[in-house]
Amino acid sequence: MNNPDLLVLGGGPAGLCGAIEAAREGLRVLVVDEGISPGGQLVKQTHKFFGNENFYASTRGMEIAGKLLKELSLYPQVILACESSVLAVYPDGVPVLDRRSDSTYLYNPTRLLVATGASEKFLQFDNNDLPGVYGAGAVQTLMNQFGILPGKSVLMIGSGNIGLIVSYQLDQAGVEVKAILEASSRIGGYRVHADKVKRLGIPVLLNHTILKAIGEKSVNGALITALDERWRPVPGTEREMVIDTVCIAVGLTPSAELVAQAGGQLKYIPELGGYVPLHDSDMRTTIDRVFVAGDVSGIEEATTAMIEGRIAGLNIVKDIKGKCNETRLEELKETLSAFRSGPTSSKIRSGLEKMDLVTQPARYVEGEVNRSGEFRGKLRPIIECFEAIPCNPCETSCPVGAITVGENINDVPVIDYSRCTGCGVCATKCPGLAIFMYQEREDGMALVGIPYEFLPVPEKGQSVYATGRSGEVLCTARVDRVTRSANKTNIVYLTVPEELGRDVRHIHVTNREESSLICRCEEITVEQVKKAIREGYVDFEELRRYLRVSMGPCGGRTCRLNTLMILSGETGVPVEKLSPGTLRPPAIPVSFGAIERNAKVTHE
Amino acid sequence: MERIVEHPLLKFERGEKIVFYFEDVQMQAYEGETIAAALHANGVRMLRITPKGSRPQGLFCAIGKCSSCLMEVDGKANVRTCITPVKEGMRVRTQKGRGEKSE
Ligand SMILES: Cc1cc2nc3c(=O)[nH]c(=O)nc-3n(C[C@H](O)[C@H](O)[C@H](O)COP(=O)(O)OP(=O)(O)OC[C@H]3O[C@@H](n4cnc5c(N)ncnc54)[C@H](O)[C@@H]3O)c2cc1C
Ligand code: SF4
Ligand code: SF4
Ligand code: FES
Repeated sequence: MNNPDLLVLGGGPAGLCGAIEAAREGLRVLVVDEGISPGGQLVKQTHKFFGNENFYASTRGMEIAGKLLKELSLYPQVILACESSVLAVYPDGVPVLDRRSDSTYLYNPTRLLVATGASEKFLQFDNNDLPGVYGAGAVQTLMNQFGILPGKSVLMIGSGNIGLIVSYQLDQAGVEVKAILEASSRIGGYRVHADKVKRLGIPVLLNHTILKAIGEKSVNGALITALDERWRPVPGTEREMVIDTVCIAVGLTPSAELVAQAGGQLKYIPELGGYVPLHDSDMRTTIDRVFVAGDVSGIEEATTAMIEGRIAGLNIVKDIKGKCNETRLEELKETLSAFRSGPTSSKIRSGLEKMDLVTQPARYVEGEVNRSGEFRGKLRPIIECFEAIPCNPCETSCPVGAITVGENINDVPVIDYSRCTGCGVCATKCPGLAIFMYQEREDGMALVGIPYEFLPVPEKGQSVYATGRSGEVLCTARVDRVTRSANKTNIVYLTVPEELGRDVRHIHVTNREESSLICRCEEITVEQVKKAIREGYVDFEELRRYLRVSMGPCGGRTCRLNTLMILSGETGVPVEKLSPGTLRPPAIPVSFGAIERNAKVTHE
Repeated sequence: MERIVEHPLLKFERGEKIVFYFEDVQMQAYEGETIAAALHANGVRMLRITPKGSRPQGLFCAIGKCSSCLMEVDGKANVRTCITPVKEGMRVRTQKGRGEKSE
């Protein structure tokens, strides 16, 4: 196919959607992509997407890529070529290097859709090119596409949605995220994403940045500092962190070089990520036959990238065939505007205005709108989604229509508790993991259902640590049941004391190998404790005297809770109801001499 | 740098096991991986030494956009190893400088 009707540069969500629209109307389409597999950024995104159900909201990124590719494969007149790099765009053709055969082909398409996406912004600090300093996309590629851990402990730079999401994904893969640094005084990403990482116990350090990556051939530390309100380092606040990976998530910038080569005009619009190709609402650049879509036309997100791709595709059909489905085109444009009408898109709106693309902001509802207290005792969802973001899977997934986001997709969800049946579907669908199930019980305990996407998944009856909004341990709790969901967002139901019910937001599961030590001082194993319980030692104090567990120099600090949890698991008695035994002083091993000396000092 | 064995959401369907060589040392990889990914799985992070400052550099963008991962592959210099699949028997070397032969 030397002269396709449409040549699409880049096989990410924008390019694939453009190709699908054109192919549907019979155009001959060639899609070229540099990567070893198509799908662009989508293939490494394991989280459920925000947005509108019609555009794959609540579906995980990698699954969206699969769906688009499948749809495209229905059209025989479409060719998708990977490992093919576009070298340039000349007036007389587009040379594409097929790296598999190491040969170059020249194409002369009637229309060109540039959907080359974006590249990662680079941050200036000492040794920023040291191996082990990665862009967020690279970390995702290694981890989610190839299943290779980028390191063991990571310092994340940037608290926008990408920094937050990648931190969450690192934790899911078992990598420790030491901290997220944010130079400004507030978190950049959506609040639901921020809440998600905070409850894992990952600290977000506001007004902080990295000064230096430390290491010879590979990162083994970082020097960080606090910043003042004008982003200048505060002297004396520098400190070293021991980490082996630095992940930079400070934004993306459009890859618009090919548009410029084609003669398209670029303009520097910082709100959209840098130099962006000027284009109209049909996604046409200043060159008639060249269109753009997706991140290359301004950094936004995948849902808008897909809509833009479709808009470009339809216009290309119109150019070549003289007509296209105008109703659909209008609908797509309206969806795009609605998407951008909320407060989180205000930056995008002002950026687009700089190229005369005006989107009206919409009125929106924000804040805490749901009163669940009146339905005490009923199993029901608690929706902790207070910020106006473009998202509505909670509404579209509820089988009885109890949740309403409404006309403006940016509004916060409102729930009608009298309709809700407590099925929990919304909690599994919410991409923000912001919906928790809740029910007060008669015995002073409450049932809390937590959306859980980690391993190991606890068993019914198992004791786990119940943690709060900052990852702090609130109590231990027994797992009442686990509802498994096809989309892998399982809901773990716990019983916790009612006064903690509104604060428990995550769990920490400790998987104990039978042979592993429970009490390091006295070298007692999990197996020994279980055996003793089965022999009838069902009281902590008895266990302690029998096994000497928690009688070592640590005073039971490392083993008391763990022993209690095993006891609870074996006996079925909630940890709260078990007697923890006496907590004897001293709390740390200390010589009597030291106590004496200390006493003297305080007396003087 | 380890391979993920179990993941709460993902199943990694790895291709055939193959061998390749980094600086003449035999390493294992799976078909379908990029050279850079395979090197990471084998604990290799340093991919090139820059021409001017002789600085070690490694994977940064992983999508072919930054040139931080240029290596010498089967005698050919300046290969972007983040978007080039690893192949059975491939010989990969750290690229020193602008891509003049390192031997
Ligand atoms: C960590 C992360 C999390 C995100 N989370 C969300 C989210 O929750 N919801 C959401 O809506 N969006 C999200 N996004 C954003 C979304 O992924 C992007 O906006 C979207 O992928 C943009 O699509 P695109 O098609 O424009 O570009 P891309 O997906 O980047 O695709 C561009 C393609 O072009 C190819 N290409 C580039 N240059 C050339 C060339 N010269 N020759 C040939 N091919 C080339 C590339 O190989 C690539 O495959 C996230 C992004 C990241 C990085
Ligand atoms: S729990 Fe079920 S019925 Fe209630 S709001 Fe959620 S999806 Fe609807
Ligand atoms: S509660 Fe609804 S609107 Fe809020 S993040 Fe969850 S699905 Fe989206
Ligand atoms: S890591 Fe950026 S080009 Fe390979």
